[in-house]
Amino acid sequence: MGNNKNIYKPLRAKLIEVIEESPLIKTFVLVPEEEFSFRTGQFIELSVDGVGEAPFTPSSSPQISDKLEVTVMKTGYVTEYMHNLKPGAYMGIRGPYGRGYPVDRFFGKEVLILGGGCGLAPIRSLLYALEHVKDNLKKVILCYGSKTPADCIYKPLFNRLNKIEKFEAYRTVDKADEEWDENVGVAPSLLDKVKVDIKNSIAVVCGPPVMMKYGTIKILEMGYKDEQIYLSMEKNMSCGLGKCGHCMMGEFFVCKDGPVFTYDEIKDQPNIWD
Amino acid sequence: MQYRSIKKEDWDRVLERMISSHTVYANIGDEFGLDYELIRPADISRIIYNKPKPATSLKSFFLPVKENVTSERNSEKPRIIIGTPNCDVEGLSLLDEIYLDKDFDDPFYRMRRESTLLISSDCFGIQEHCHCLSYSIKPYSISKADLAVISMNGTIIFRVISEKGKEFLDTIPEAVQLNDNSIISSVENEQKTTESLLAEANKGLPDYKTTGKIVAEAGKEIWKKYSSRCVSCGACAAICPTCTCFLLIDKPGFEKVKQLDACQYPGFERVAGGEDSLFEIHNRFRNRYMCKYVWKPEKFSSLACTGCGRCIEACIGKINKNELFRELA
Repeated sequence: MGNNKNIYKPLRAKLIEVIEESPLIKTFVLVPEEEFSFRTGQFIELSVDGVGEAPFTPSSSPQISDKLEVTVMKTGYVTEYMHNLKPGAYMGIRGPYGRGYPVDRFFGKEVLILGGGCGLAPIRSLLYALEHVKDNLKKVILCYGSKTPADCIYKPLFNRLNKIEKFEAYRTVDKADEEWDENVGVAPSLLDKVKVDIKNSIAVVCGPPVMMKYGTIKILEMGYKDEQIYLSMEKNMSCGLGKCGHCMMGEFFVCKDGPVFTYDEIKDQPNIWD
Repeated sequence: MQYRSIKKEDWDRVLERMISSHTVYANIGDEFGLDYELIRPADISRIIYNKPKPATSLKSFFLPVKENVTSERNSEKPRIIIGTPNCDVEGLSLLDEIYLDKDFDDPFYRMRRESTLLISSDCFGIQEHCHCLSYSIKPYSISKADLAVISMNGTIIFRVISEKGKEFLDTIPEAVQLNDNSIISSVENEQKTTESLLAEANKGLPDYKTTGKIVAEAGKEIWKKYSSRCVSCGACAAICPTCTCFLLIDKPGFEKVKQLDACQYPGFERVAGGEDSLFEIHNRFRNRYMCKYVWKPEKFSSLACTGCGRCIEACIGKINKNELFRELA
């Protein structure tokens, strides 16, 4: 980031497509007006003109540089405005910010990914990045949970992943409907069904706070060490620059020092799960 | 250290000249105390030197309460700030670490920093809640400011601190090298007297590091007790020379307005999903002390509390953090 750049100024991006993923979740396909690239797991501040901005990790492949996909759950003031946007609108992007997933540290290992709800958004980007380097990985296992089958996002992703060599993908729902023939139970319950060589593996967890907490506990019980677990932390990242203080988690600015941390790095910090 | 001196009446004439090319701020006093004012020629004779301390902390010159950070800015007139106590000069170090960070350099902060000549003032005497020395900060500047000013017996004496300060004095022929050791000794005596007053007033107050330990170990009942009179007004953070948290507010045209914020306000850490780790007032109250004495020291080399005592003065609930630390020491 050069000294001449105004760190607070967003880059304009044209919304070219809105994909409805679930009743509450939409994916926004954006074309930034200037070149924009990110590392998987880094986040951006996405703004609705004159309304507000909020932090999101892009859900698209970091290899694609001409457009960007951001998956947004309608959950508050800004996201409600986002959900009303139509293709042709302009949004603002600042970033990318923070440390992403250290993909090269996963080389030679099995990658166990636990995701829940809209937490699959950053994970989808990670999966694209891992697919790109799959020759260097032993195995990639995705365990994903949503509340109901209707809440499950990226439906075509699972079939596609299961066709890729070394990739396995499992889904579960808290509450099934008549057509659901996959697992029923909370996301961490899928961990009982997978076979991993724990010593030679790392785990990635991303999802709502309660799932992060119980998922991490379960992964620790499986025998993973603290430093083998990568967590995507959710805090009120506002400036993204390590200045405004809203995302402080003990000595860390989640926006700059994270949002991806190993459990080992943050386990002693206050309020990590809320 | 190099000293230069200038007769008071000559210095007043220099200031009159400076006002045409610079924006000059200095301390003016009234029956309510002392604070920075924009100096017009008629105010020059009313400037107060060496008295602690301006009601406003120095940060307001570099981090305005509210500013548009996306609009283009013409560079401002160079500024001279006179009379900053060393607690505030030391506080500026933390602001530099945050706002001139190598990854994300704030252009507005940098512009103001670079266009300011900072003339600190030795504190001769103390105010009720001054406790800089307890945190190993002297009541006079020998680093980080550009110059330090001392007014003594009709003479203005400058301690030369930075190259920028030296260059400034080089443009003033009336300011000559001060080699009279007896005057320098008088200055040092005043400094020592202030240090003794500080030591006496702050007996039993733990040092910065010990305070960090105390804060980290204090249980919930302590925070509940001391926050019982807190009304989340945020005055402690607003007046603090090192509290710089802010909020970005969106305006049409993808403009952003940056406004000072405080962790004492409800909702400071609330996320869109509703989780709020600082929901309860005692958690917010504790957060500010953890930030100052435990977390910031882990991350930055500058102190996050410089002992100015303004948070104690500003508190409408009459919460005195030093009573808390003394009780736990």
